[in-house]
Amino acid sequence: MDDQPEHVEEPFDPEGVRFKRVSPRLIWVRLAGAGIFALVGIAVAVVLWLVLDSAWFLLIAAPAVLIAGFSAVVVPRQVRALGYAEREEDLIVRRGILFRSLTVVPYGRMQYVDVTAGPVDRALGLATVRLHTASAATDATVPGLTADAAALLRDRLTAAGQARLAGL
Amino acid sequence: MTEETTAPATPVRPPRVPMRRLHPVSPLVRGWAALLVGLAIVVEGVMPGEDFGPDIGFLGGLGVQLGGVLAIAVVVVLGNVVGWFFARFSVDDDAVHLHTGVLSRTQRQARLDRLQAIDVVQPLIGRLFGLAELRIEVAGGADSQVRLRYLKESEAQQLRNALLAAAAGVEYETDEAPEAPEREVVVVPPGRLVAGTALTGTVIALTIGAVVLLTGLGVAALLPGVPLTLVLAPMAGIGPGAVVVIVFTVANQFAKSFNFRLAESPDGLRVRAGLTETRSATVPPGRVQAVLVSQSWLWRRFDWWHVKVNIAGYAASETQQTSSAVLLPVGTRQDVRDLLALVVAGTSGPDGPRPAVDPAVLDHALSGTGEAGGFVTVDRRARWLDLLAWRRIGYAVTDRVLLARTGLLNRSLVVVPHERTQSLGLLQGPLQRRLGVVTFRLHSTPGPVDPVVPHLSEVEGARLLREQGARARAARAASGPERWMQRPASAAGVGLGADQEPVLVDEGDRAARHGGVAQERVQVDPVAGDGRTGLPGAARGDEEPGLR
Repeated sequence: MDDQPEHVEEPFDPEGVRFKRVSPRLIWVRLAGAGIFALVGIAVAVVLWLVLDSAWFLLIAAPAVLIAGFSAVVVPRQVRALGYAEREEDLIVRRGILFRSLTVVPYGRMQYVDVTAGPVDRALGLATVRLHTASAATDATVPGLTADAAALLRDRLTAAGQARLAGL
Repeated sequence: MTEETTAPATPVRPPRVPMRRLHPVSPLVRGWAALLVGLAIVVEGVMPGEDFGPDIGFLGGLGVQLGGVLAIAVVVVLGNVVGWFFARFSVDDDAVHLHTGVLSRTQRQARLDRLQAIDVVQPLIGRLFGLAELRIEVAGGADSQVRLRYLKESEAQQLRNALLAAAAGVEYETDEAPEAPEREVVVVPPGRLVAGTALTGTVIALTIGAVVLLTGLGVAALLPGVPLTLVLAPMAGIGPGAVVVIVFTVANQFAKSFNFRLAESPDGLRVRAGLTETRSATVPPGRVQAVLVSQSWLWRRFDWWHVKVNIAGYAASETQQTSSAVLLPVGTRQDVRDLLALVVAGTSGPDGPRPAVDPAVLDHALSGTGEAGGFVTVDRRARWLDLLAWRRIGYAVTDRVLLARTGLLNRSLVVVPHERTQSLGLLQGPLQRRLGVVTFRLHSTPGPVDPVVPHLSEVEGARLLREQGARARAARAASGPERWMQRPASAAGVGLGADQEPVLVDEGDRAARHGGVAQERVQVDPVAGDGRTGLPGAARGDEEPGLR
C-alpha cells in the first residue's frame, strides 16, 4: 500500500480512491508457469543435443527462454499495476499497463463471490476473490490476496452485498 | 452452510396446482420428429423400381422397412412415455416445481419473484393436438428455465395467468386467475415483414454472391477450349442451391416473425408471433435490461427499425431460438417510440407523464449526428480511428436512461435504463493511451445488446464512469419491488383492471434474498428410494448465503 499522487480526472486513478495492492508473491505464481515451460524447453534441447550430438538443437530452447524472459520482465509490472479499492457503495478493480482496465461493481449488484486457490497459490498462501453479477461481462477478479485477506474481503463483500441487495 | 431454498412460508392458501403429471399425449408430441424421419425413410423406400430381392418381393420389403421404422419410433416414444410417467410439476404461491428423471432425479424450481418471462409455445404438431408448452424463465444463468411440455392449451394459458398474478403479487377472489386486459401497440404487417427480411445484408450478400458466380461461369463458357459440361454442371448446382438457401433464410425469418403483434398489459409486454410454431411471450415490467434499436442501410429509405432486448435468462437458455429477444422484427419509427415508452418507464413531470426518452432526443439518437440532442461524441484526437462514424458514435444521458449510438450506414442505438446497470468498465489500449482516449463499457446481462461507447476523451470517460455509477445507484434505490403490482399504482403506468387491485403483502421478504433457481440433482439408488429423500440444500451459490 502506498500513496498515489492525486490527479484530477485521471480515468484509471479516480479522485479520492486509494488502491490497495495485491501481494507481490503473485509474481511467483504467475512466473511459475513460464518457468516450467522454459525448463521443459531447455530439457528437451539438452537431451537432443546429447543424444544427436549437434549443438544446433539448443536453438529449440530459444523460444521458451525468450517467452520466459519476457514474462519475467512484464509480470512483475503487471502485478504491481493490479489494485482494488473498496468504496462505500462499490468495489473498484484496476489492472494492466499496456491494456488498462478499470471495473466498478456496485455491491448491490453482486450475485455471489468466489474464492479460489490453485496449487501454486496455496503453496504461497494466496487466493483469488471474484465477484459475479448478473452480467457475464463483469470481470471483477482480485488475485494474489493472502488467504486471510481473501476471507476478510469475501466477508466484507458479502455483508455489503446483503445490505444493499437490489433485484436484477 | 445449507440454505433452505424451499423455506416454507406460512401457507396463506393451498397450492395453486397440486403435484400432477403433464398431458398424456406429450410423449407422442415430443417423439413426432422420430416418427417423421421414419416415415420419410419408408416413403423413399416405396419409390418404384426398387428391387428388394427375389425372396420377399416389393410388399415384403416394404413390410420389413415399416417394421424397423415402427420399432425405432416405438422405442423413442416409449422412452418419452417413461420420462412423462416420472415427471411431475406443482405450483404454489412462491415457485413452480418440476421433478423429472428416472434414475437421476432432477428437482427444479423457478421462484416467481424472480420471474423474467413466461412463454407459451405451440409447435405445429402441438397445435394439432391442442397442446402447448409453458416456458418459465428465471434469471439463473444457463439452463435455468422450467419447461412444462406439454399442457392443454387452455391449461397453459390459465397457468400462465395464475403465475403472472402470483409473481405480480395480485390477489384474486375467483378460482381462476383473470387474464390481464391488453392493449395492442405494434402490429407488423406481413408485406413489410417480407420486404424487411428480403432487404437484409445476408440475403443481399447471398444474391450478389450467386450472381457473381453464375456470371463468372457464363464468361468461362464463352472462352474457347472450355468444355460446356464443365461449366454447366456447377451452374446447375449453384443456381438452384442459392435460390433454395435464400428462400429458406427468408422463409425461416418470416415464419418466426409472422403475424407479429405486441401488446401491453398490467402483466407486462405480450409478444405473439409465429406461422408454424406460435409463441406468446409475456415479459413483466422492468425485466428488459437493455434495448438495441438497429437499422441496416437497406432499410434507411423506409425508416424501418429492428429492436432486440436483453432479458435475463433468455440468452443463456435459448441459443438457437433467440427470437424471443426480438421485440420488433421490422417497425416504423413510431413503433420504436411506442415500444421504448413501454419498456422504459417514464417519469411524471409537473405537466403530466413524460416519456423516458424525449421524442426529439430519440430522433437525434436514431438518425442524428454530432452534438445535437446532448450527445458527447468521439474525442477530436481519435476521430481518424472512426473516419466515417465519429459523428455518430457517442452517448447521451436522460434522467431515466443511457443512450449509446453508433453506425453511420448501419445505424444502431443502445438504450439502458439506469437501474438496470450491472457494473461499469473503462478500457484503454496502448494506441488509445497515446491519443488520450478511453472506451466505456456498461455491463448488462447476457444477450444481444452490449452497450459500449468507444473513444471518449479521458476526461469524458472518467466523468461518465463516475456519474453513471451515481445515477445507477440512485435509480436502483428508487426502483420498485420485484413483485411489480406491489409498487405504488401511479408508477405502474398501466391501468389496473377491477380484478387487479394491488395488494401489499410481505414486502421485502426473504424471497428477494434467494436466487431465482435452485437446482438440485440427486443421484438415487434405484432400489433405495423414490428420489425425494434427504435433499441437501445444494443450491448454486450455496457458499454465500443471502447473495443469490
